[in-house]
Amino acid sequence: MSRLEDELRNALRREEPPAGFEARLRARLAAEPRRTNWLARWFRLPAMHHTLAARLAFTAALGMLVVVGVRYEHERQERIQGEAAKAKLMQALRVTGTELQTVHEKVRELSADDENRQ
Amino acid sequence: MSDAGTAREVEDEAEFSALVREHQSMVYGIALHFLHDPASAEEVAQDVFLQLYRHRDGLEGPGHVTAWLRRVACNRSIDYARSRRSQASVSLEEIGEPAGASAPDDPLLREKLRKLILSLPDKARMVMILRYQEDLDPEEIARELEMPVRTVKSHLQRSLALLREKFGRALGEKQG
Repeated sequence: MSRLEDELRNALRREEPPAGFEARLRARLAAEPRRTNWLARWFRLPAMHHTLAARLAFTAALGMLVVVGVRYEHERQERIQGEAAKAKLMQALRVTGTELQTVHEKVRELSADDENRQ
Repeated sequence: MSDAGTAREVEDEAEFSALVREHQSMVYGIALHFLHDPASAEEVAQDVFLQLYRHRDGLEGPGHVTAWLRRVACNRSIDYARSRRSQASVSLEEIGEPAGASAPDDPLLREKLRKLILSLPDKARMVMILRYQEDLDPEEIARELEMPVRTVKSHLQRSLALLREKFGRALGEKQG
């Protein structure tokens, strides 16, 4: 190795930062908003901390639960909408039936009047 | 928060402090040699560790942490220098040649070498720092800086030739 390279290693050696570096870093960290990374916390539950397989299984189960929940909610909404549509149709049929009855009675009255006049 | 959660938090903080103490000379050294300004180097080094704190869940294993810190320190230093380009720029002419042969570990020569390295272009300067501070070989430097190995070798050769031209006599080496 050449003298130049020795001098370069010497000139570019690692340097410790000035005293109090970590304290100043801590002060900057304290000024930061607290981290709320729930996903990271989730993966660090003490009971599930050891194996990747356990963590993955836990996440898969959680994912399934979310999918089933979303699907159940979707079906519930569809059922509610179907029942509301059925109630509207029944109401419309009832209204139409009443109106037809009224018309029918009017026709009968007019027919009776005509017969009486003749 | 539960006792287990609090204990985990305390353990996390202790682990982070240990990481800072273990790697601060590497991170600060890269920033200092690149920027040649202790205040700027400290700012960059603190930014690097803040980034580590925010992303520490995604890092696994001591080797991964070292490589990650080194890469972030390089990128942050380069970005910092670019953002303050007008402030610190040293030309080759400003750096005088050493008067004569110098003794090993001469502080004056060391300072002149650092200044000459500061006059190199960003990538060439970082290549020199990774080669002589971190003792990485050209393949490792190429991976760190995401550049072809031949470019790394070319930077090294050109920078060494420049330094020899400037300091060869003081170091008792043949020039040319």
